[in-house]
Amino acid sequence: MVEKNGKPESIPRQLVFRALKATLKGIFFYFLYFILWTMFLAPLALIVPNLQGIAETFLAVYILLMVIGEFTHGTIFQYFFDAAKALFIIGYLLLSLKGGIVSLTYQEIILTIDLRLFLMFATLLSLLGLSKSVLQAINYLTQKTEHATI
Amino acid sequence: MKTSIRMIGIATTFLWIFLISFFISAVYSVKDLHFNMSEPQMGVNQNNEVYFSLPITITNNGFYSIGSFMISTGILDENGFQIAENSTVVPVIRKGENTTAFHTVMVNISDLLQNSQVNYLVNDSEFLVKAAIGMSIAQIIPVQVATNLTVPWGAPFYNLTFGTPQYSDFNTTHCITTIPISFENHAFFDLNGTIQIKMYNDSDLLVGSGETTFEVPQHSPYNGIVEFYVSTTDLTETGYLEVYFLTPLLDYGPLVVSYG
Repeated sequence: MVEKNGKPESIPRQLVFRALKATLKGIFFYFLYFILWTMFLAPLALIVPNLQGIAETFLAVYILLMVIGEFTHGTIFQYFFDAAKALFIIGYLLLSLKGGIVSLTYQEIILTIDLRLFLMFATLLSLLGLSKSVLQAINYLTQKTEHATI
Repeated sequence: MKTSIRMIGIATTFLWIFLISFFISAVYSVKDLHFNMSEPQMGVNQNNEVYFSLPITITNNGFYSIGSFMISTGILDENGFQIAENSTVVPVIRKGENTTAFHTVMVNISDLLQNSQVNYLVNDSEFLVKAAIGMSIAQIIPVQVATNLTVPWGAPFYNLTFGTPQYSDFNTTHCITTIPISFENHAFFDLNGTIQIKMYNDSDLLVGSGETTFEVPQHSPYNGIVEFYVSTTDLTETGYLEVYFLTPLLDYGPLVVSYG
């Protein structure tokens, strides 16, 4: 039981609220992806093979981690899943961008794009996200310890 | 601690939004980059090199400047021998600007004929052209498009044939020698120049020499003769001819052909 405005909130109610929040977040992220895909990425899919598959796998795992993170809200596990999300972004970018140098072959034409700079910034931002999760976990544990002491 | 965590979160979100919007807009602005290739020019320069010049106009209507725009071409023969290579670089094409670059490749045909293992004077062949266009989108995302093409090489003296020398008496010491020559000009250029022939007997002694001029448009056959006087006392039944080709585009020789 969690207290809210002095009144205890029942576990089923909490779960329904979290499920609703997770669903809305999931829908929002999918909608964002859908807009990005139809407006910008769809023409690229003609050149880049399996781009849609790569993007949708990323989105599915990201939304899954986000939903689990939402369900575990208020526990230490929330920060674990946030950290996992940041690490997943780093790993997925490194693997899908093949270290930053993407090479595509279409008939006799070879297109090479050097995305190492983009990858570096994305990795740094993900590391910043990871550090944020670690700090949040430390903060959570500190507060919990403080409450227990009082 | 909560405030600093919140600040990290806000900063991360803003930086992600900035990075993704910059990347998408940079890639998207490529569609507003237009290339216009004009009629290629071909000619011969002062060093008797054949040059191909391709004027390219680049119009950058994108959101960002384009950096390090580069066109490079390499021409190699079947054995990997490099015939020609050149790169054209435009350091910056600012947004909203038009830039015209002339990409020129020069081929020294005399060097090609003298130095390569295949006799391109008389043999048709294929050359490998390695072409690449590179640029830095928004001056920070390097992109390169490369392709390999095979282009046919038409021999300027394809199927070069020297007929059997015909001798007719001139006086007691000399006779007139007539050597029929035929070939087809498979080259991409018209041929005009001189064929010089030096005739040697089986003791390597020069017995006579002559020349003829020719003018053969591309993809046309040629049939002609070279007439010259030879000393009847030095003439032997067998020997060899040294043939020299002198044209504004290429000088080649000696091509050694035995007779008899």
